[in-house]
Amino acid sequence: MRKFTALGVLLAAFAAGPSYAQQGPSDPQIAHIVVTANQVDIDAGKLAEKSASSKEVRDFGKQMVTDHTSVNKSATELVTKLKVKPEANETSASLKKGGDENVAKLKKLKGKEFDKAYVDNEVSYHQAVLDAVDKTLIPSAKNEELKALLVKVRPAFVQHLEHAKMLQGQLAK
Amino acid sequence: MSALRSLLVLVALAGPMTASAATHVVTMEGMKFEPATLRVKTGDQVVWRNKDLVPHTATAAGKFDSGQVGAGKSWSWKAAARGQHDYVCTYHPGMKGSVVVE
Repeated sequence: MRKFTALGVLLAAFAAGPSYAQQGPSDPQIAHIVVTANQVDIDAGKLAEKSASSKEVRDFGKQMVTDHTSVNKSATELVTKLKVKPEANETSASLKKGGDENVAKLKKLKGKEFDKAYVDNEVSYHQAVLDAVDKTLIPSAKNEELKALLVKVRPAFVQHLEHAKMLQGQLAK
Repeated sequence: MSALRSLLVLVALAGPMTASAATHVVTMEGMKFEPATLRVKTGDQVVWRNKDLVPHTATAAGKFDSGQVGAGKSWSWKAAARGQHDYVCTYHPGMKGSVVVE
């Protein structure tokens, strides 16, 4: 039984491995996903900078604007250098849609309700982005420099996730 | 002659002192300070080099504060007061470091 399971896992990995990479997004699509993902978080951060009730949450929002703007600057410089033209795709469209819906929802909230909704979304958003970076974007990137950029930016997203979780814990008290 | 000798003595004295002031580099990369703990001597120079894509700071309350160090930029500080100076990146609470001035 154990042998069978191990073989099953091996076969599944074998089957999933190469086809996964083939079905993943192309480099121009990855570039568009990266820029869109950052922009979505910049938009939410700008709103939080203005509308959050606690200083910690306003500061976090400001930090998201600063960091994701820096990342987008690097990403844009790289794709310009590589002559990659970012290409719109389903993933970036759904990121944008989710981001717009989140901002629309947040605009109706005030005070602690706003803080909680913003921070909750930041936790799930950064978790989702990290999953995408690890499972789809890094494995699919063909260009080494594009891949290196994703690897380099990953720790910032981990830190943002931890920071957002810390705020979430504070707000729950 | 005696003036020259005094000068030579001065140069000889100054020489080793100048040579002993070292420059140390702390990189800010992957949302970490590397090395996290740095031991230096008074008079040494410490340079923080930001290799990340996002801005950072090196801030030890009341001791030193780099202000914003942008991606690809550096900031340097001369170690004066002895002691252990714990510092953080004020932007990213997970980033912590320490400079021990001996």
